[in-house]
Amino acid sequence: MRLPSRAAPAGHRATVAKATDARRRSRPARAARLEEAQKYLFVLPALLLFGTFVLLPLGSAVYYSFTTWDGLRTPEWVGWRNYVRAWNDSIHIRSYVNVGIYIAGTLVVEVAFGLLIAVLLASDRRGFGFMRGLFFSPMVLSMVAAGLLWTYVYDYRRGLLNEGLRALGLAEWAHPWLSDGGTAMLAVIIVSGWKYAGFYMIIFLAALRRIPVTLYEAAMLDGATPLQRLWHVTLPLLRETGVVAILLCVTGGFAAFDLFFTMTGGGPFNATEIPTTWIVKQAFDRHNMGYGAALTVVMTVVVGLVSLAYLLVTRRRHTVEY
Amino acid sequence: MSTSASTLTRPARLPLMTVLHYWVAVTVVIGMAFPLVWMLYSGFKTNQEIATSPLALPAVWNWHHLVEAWQLGNLGRLYLNSLLVTGTSVTALVMIASLAAYAFARLRFRGRDALFYLLLIGLLLPAQVVIIPLFFLLRDMQLLNTYWALILPYMSWPLALTIYLLRSYYLTLERELEDAARIDGANLLQTYAFVMFPLVRPALATVVILNLVNLWNELLFAMLFIQDERLRTLPAGLLAFSGHYLVDYRLVFAALSITTVPVLVLYFVFQRQVIAGLTTGALD
Repeated sequence: MRLPSRAAPAGHRATVAKATDARRRSRPARAARLEEAQKYLFVLPALLLFGTFVLLPLGSAVYYSFTTWDGLRTPEWVGWRNYVRAWNDSIHIRSYVNVGIYIAGTLVVEVAFGLLIAVLLASDRRGFGFMRGLFFSPMVLSMVAAGLLWTYVYDYRRGLLNEGLRALGLAEWAHPWLSDGGTAMLAVIIVSGWKYAGFYMIIFLAALRRIPVTLYEAAMLDGATPLQRLWHVTLPLLRETGVVAILLCVTGGFAAFDLFFTMTGGGPFNATEIPTTWIVKQAFDRHNMGYGAALTVVMTVVVGLVSLAYLLVTRRRHTVEY
Repeated sequence: MSTSASTLTRPARLPLMTVLHYWVAVTVVIGMAFPLVWMLYSGFKTNQEIATSPLALPAVWNWHHLVEAWQLGNLGRLYLNSLLVTGTSVTALVMIASLAAYAFARLRFRGRDALFYLLLIGLLLPAQVVIIPLFFLLRDMQLLNTYWALILPYMSWPLALTIYLLRSYYLTLERELEDAARIDGANLLQTYAFVMFPLVRPALATVVILNLVNLWNELLFAMLFIQDERLRTLPAGLLAFSGHYLVDYRLVFAALSITTVPVLVLYFVFQRQVIAGLTTGALD
């Protein structure tokens, strides 16, 4: 940081020295060409890495998806067979139903709940800043830590949840939440909400702060109650933020893996199997690399189409100016 | 907090409403924070206590549980691995991303926009999509079970977002400084390194934090590309530990505390920066 003041004069002297050189005439053209080439050096490292570890594997995934391969012998070309198999694989289909349920659930417990908390905690009263900070804190934990913690919270005998219910005299509500296929997905969704609601809270808080006070003053002059102000002023003006939040939540939902892997492993009996856990099982437990690759291609296409459809649908409607 | 947000929830002068507001807010926040508190004190209890009275505070605070978990889980090693892998990746990633972001924002060259759009593909891709070919690519490079198996993908996958964020920041900088440096005879690299790079420090802090938190917590690559338990990072190591000591509740709780408390403390110290870092990109 001490260098800038020195560096520019140094560069300056160098240029002056060169300019008085005998080769002066050829210099401008060559320097310009050199500089043109230098520009590519700025992006070269990034493009090399991106090409090698992102684009190249993406291309290979498409290739592998048309082969049958155990990871050891040479891949054998099988055409569309893996895709036909994916279509007929009832667990694969189920994994999309499951992730659909998961995403629907997270839209409620992350986005909607996050918005609710943003409105609840948007106050400059004492202690509210601290509470907002606390509410956001699970965001910095790993999914593994969150998943493990909640696995113990849901534990039938020793868990915080069931024991809390017993302490409240609701012993008959105690339940093996994660090992019952009927409640496992809900249990995982709750943990997602716990982990991410704070993120959406912050996003909505930022949007709330951008709403001009004058709008509320006008509404109050018109005699609007707090609830009416919330419904007629705040919520319509949060629409754009809501669009972004929903998109993030949906794409993030498809990419979910850690929490399911940590808490349920896709079980019990595939009740929480999602595309990513199924892909990892096919590839790394059963060594079906070709089939696994086909499943990843399907997932890429599905995520792309869903995002695109969502953006097209939401862009048509008019946006509010203020 | 600015006043615009608070007018929402300040139904003026009614103490009853104030009390109610506090009551609801505090209830929600305690409900959300309690699992963490429960985790913290449960690590000090004996397994017997955890089994008979799961909610109670420990009768005796068994600090040695922390020591046991630390030693049995080789947690010091896991911390070291995570520090090495994350530290190297984030530093290199941000340096490389900043160079590219500057070029995409400020330099004119053939193919610039095409290359930038190519890069943006990375914004849409979930990393799970390439685990299979990436695994074999790293195997063929003989990098599996080395730190590089994580560092290289960790440097590459966040590039798209990091470049995208830094580029928009470079676009906001004044052109005069850059022009002045050029007129003074600084070449492209000097202009970048001594004039422009120092100016993006606020944005650098943001993307450093974003990537630091994400990579520190990354599980999928970490568990697939490193099987050697001496080289594992924290999330993968913690998962293996919990599998190993599944019913030794006190140890798992203690290990969870050891791995989460330092992160939470850092978060509360740098709260403003961390929140800005983790929500950047969603807030434009």
